[in-house]
Amino acid sequence: MTEQPIITTSGLYKSYDGVEAVRGLDLQVPAGSICGFLGRNGAGKTTTIKILLGMARPTRGEARVFGLLAHSPQASAAIRLRTGFVGEEKDLYPYMTVAEMVRFAAAFYPRWRRDLEQRYLRRFELPAERKVKALSRGMRTKLALLLALCRGADLLILDEPTAGLDPAITEEVLQALVTHVGAEAMTVFFSSHHIAEVEQIADRVAIIDRGRSVVAGALDDVRQAFCRVEMVFDGEAPEAELRAPGVIQVRRSGRVLVVVSRGGADPIVSAARALRPKSIDVVPLTLKEIFLASLGEEA
Amino acid sequence: MLLRPNPSSGVPIYLQLMEQVKHAIETGALRPGDQLPGIRPLAEELVINVNTVAKAYRELEHEGVIELRHGSGAFVAKRARAGRLVHTLRDAQTLVAGMVKQLRARGLSEEEIRRLVEAELAGYTRPGGRRD
Amino acid sequence: MLWYKSWLETRWRFLIGLALLLCSAAGAVLTYPQVLKLLPQVPPHVDGLLGEKIREAADLARSYQGYVWSSWFRQNLTQAASLFAVLLGTASFLSLEGGALFTLSLPVSRRRLVFVRAATGLAELFVLVFVPSLLIPLLSPAVGERYALGSALIHSACLFIAASVLFGLALLLSTVFGDVWRPLLIALAVAFALAIVDQALHSPALSLYRLMSGETYFRTGRLPWGGLLAAAGAAASLHVAAIANFTRRDF
Repeated sequence: MTEQPIITTSGLYKSYDGVEAVRGLDLQVPAGSICGFLGRNGAGKTTTIKILLGMARPTRGEARVFGLLAHSPQASAAIRLRTGFVGEEKDLYPYMTVAEMVRFAAAFYPRWRRDLEQRYLRRFELPAERKVKALSRGMRTKLALLLALCRGADLLILDEPTAGLDPAITEEVLQALVTHVGAEAMTVFFSSHHIAEVEQIADRVAIIDRGRSVVAGALDDVRQAFCRVEMVFDGEAPEAELRAPGVIQVRRSGRVLVVVSRGGADPIVSAARALRPKSIDVVPLTLKEIFLASLGEEA
Repeated sequence: MLLRPNPSSGVPIYLQLMEQVKHAIETGALRPGDQLPGIRPLAEELVINVNTVAKAYRELEHEGVIELRHGSGAFVAKRARAGRLVHTLRDAQTLVAGMVKQLRARGLSEEEIRRLVEAELAGYTRPGGRRD
Repeated sequence: MLWYKSWLETRWRFLIGLALLLCSAAGAVLTYPQVLKLLPQVPPHVDGLLGEKIREAADLARSYQGYVWSSWFRQNLTQAASLFAVLLGTASFLSLEGGALFTLSLPVSRRRLVFVRAATGLAELFVLVFVPSLLIPLLSPAVGERYALGSALIHSACLFIAASVLFGLALLLSTVFGDVWRPLLIALAVAFALAIVDQALHSPALSLYRLMSGETYFRTGRLPWGGLLAAAGAAASLHVAAIANFTRRDF
């Protein structure tokens, strides 16, 4: 039973004052997955998220959530009814108390889950009568997450949910996400700079650079596709260009030739044999190395 | 619990889980008929994706290492194959111990031995890169 | 809950304004006897603009109706209503510290967001203008005078409609700028400029401030229908523009 993807963008473009933030982004997030959205600062992550939520309109191309067009105002309201959002700034209303924020948010969602509300208030230890402006960053994040999780939403969109949080709270947040997603059958789309946490909880990954998608797919598939092949030669490593599909980078250092590829190890190894190395090692890359390599930087 | 995957190691988490389950069976920490933790509780405890745990369990079932009983959970397979695996592994362990001892006697370092083994597994160490 | 949120955002401005205006209205009424006593002491031969103003105020103060009109409706309430119209119309729609992205992630249309905020602010402006004004007919017997309820209502209505133009301006500017200071200062500057022009040209026919004080009604007993319609139209246009601007804006 293949459903249509929860999120799709095709040929998405967005310019702000002549600066292109998103340049032809193609993205697909299948239902039920936890998709990590990685990219440098200014690569277009937040812009993409804003477009999905109807906060900004694309210059060209289209974005769809639940199959609905994100830039149509009526469709966008319908999308937002089923979507929980936590922004980068965790901005809520400073003059409201925790209890008031919960009551406020609950009023908009007919599927609001009172049971989850009680559970998360207890679990996150949020003081009901304290004003939002008096909450620490970690508590504001947890409150924002609570408000997103209790909506009875089918999709969660999070923009850097653990930014600025200490490891203990980060783990709390991740655990709440994993638990919630396991129990409620939802999709999560979150952008992050913390590659370790993406590796931990995501099963899909999308890497965006300069407004375009450079890597996308199931995390396990991506990990299998990216590899480093290290060859040691008897003499100096040959100057010959290693031609094989998927090669991102070739580096020579004395007798060692290192090739980073995103097309799997086999094509590289086949091509490498022609150079007659003394030994060939195939090493998997961590997600951080994959991220850096796909941006064209030194891995 | 004995399962502790490392998300940042570069090896897919589901593969690590599979290896760790198999290792637990080898060492006897898990015996045929023992119940494994549920998919969701395990995912929550390790703070990893539920789909990842599910995939690991599915692959283990496919290999015959565990059985997924609908409604009850995951159990270590009672089949002889598992037992054979343990037996074969014990023999293999002896072989490996002997080989390592020999190679050390010839003056090879641990790193060199490891590289030779990995390369052999990948089939690439013949000079000129020919696979036998 | 949007109404509650708008109330929370504006309540202090509103309550302080109401308190001030209630005191001001009561004060205007209760000090009338003092004013009457001081009238003979007004120097009749002061030159220039100031002299003109003093003579005019003194003339008006001889009658209670004139006094109420010149000191309350034309002066105190007009100035206060202009200020509070701008204060209440300045909304923190775009301010990130005010939770703008959170608000935009709610399943409500942008039109509704502006509408609720505008309606709340206008309702508060309405109370600020009408309630203290109604205090005047209520309190006047305490100093032995009478002020017609009808006059209070009509003057309040003119004032409210004219002030809603300034409210609409502040609201529109709030959908243009991200901070709360620029809408506030620009709208105040416009109000100030209109007031100065009105003073300099002695309240010409097209002045917003002439409409606000209800001068035509005071002097001739006729309602300034043209002015009221024009002002209502201008206010409505500004509100529509605010909604349109907010709806098509990118964040």
